[in-house]
Amino acid sequence: MTIGATLDRVLEAVEQAGPVTALRESTFAYPLVNALHIIGIALLFGAIVALDLRLIGWRRTAGSADGFARLLVPVAGAGLALAIPAGLLLFATDARAYAASPLFQAKILFIGLALANAVWLRASERRRPRPRPRLALAGAASICLWLGAIVLGRLVGYF
Amino acid sequence: MTRSWTIARAFLLRLAQIAPLAGHHGWGWATGEEFELAGTVKSVRHGNPHGIMRLSTPSGEWTVEIGQPWRNEHAGLTPQLLRPGTRLLVHGHRSARKGERLMKAERIVIAGKSYNLYPDRPS
Repeated sequence: MTIGATLDRVLEAVEQAGPVTALRESTFAYPLVNALHIIGIALLFGAIVALDLRLIGWRRTAGSADGFARLLVPVAGAGLALAIPAGLLLFATDARAYAASPLFQAKILFIGLALANAVWLRASERRRPRPRPRLALAGAASICLWLGAIVLGRLVGYF
Repeated sequence: MTRSWTIARAFLLRLAQIAPLAGHHGWGWATGEEFELAGTVKSVRHGNPHGIMRLSTPSGEWTVEIGQPWRNEHAGLTPQLLRPGTRLLVHGHRSARKGERLMKAERIVIAGKSYNLYPDRPS
């Protein structure tokens, strides 16, 4: 059996799992999980854009990048901790169709790149002195990648 | 330049190609004109965000969007009623995109009995 066929069977089993079927056929649970996904994205994106802008150099006098990070990274992390499980549940209700959607695949790629960028930023925090232009570049990349992920995610529902 | 353009072009073309999830909320994408379609159920996917039914008709295969589970249930439209092979008549609105065989159901008639998904809308 090919990898594609195996994946298809796994995803089909995911779709047919009891709790996933219950969610797909629910009255309130599905829109509520949808809302949690959006709340998670709002927390993540709002916090991360503020931090990225500070990294780029905007409002430098408002405080140190470290101070901003101490406040905003946990908020963004909480958003991620909400958005990912909610997103996985939504994915599970129609797993094969989402997995086959190029827009969805592109969205996952953007999220992966954005997370890799964030991990690289955190790792570089421990290195001193920090090259400021590279931090600014990482901040700009972060905004673009998260924007891309959100737009692609929205497009999945319409194409 | 040419190589990255080739990759970008291939990517965009691929994005435009497949449309497996077409989610249409609201009515803005459909024409305002009442439309009806008769056919035989080929397959149905029930569930959120809304159900999708494939219908074999004399004018080819159509995709018919039905309600989310609670709306279908309110209308009395159970999954048992929409089994493949069922002949039915769908009232609703078709896609405003020319040539697209896609419609959203307002009311479905099976064996002379009407199942109204949107009792507050004329259909």
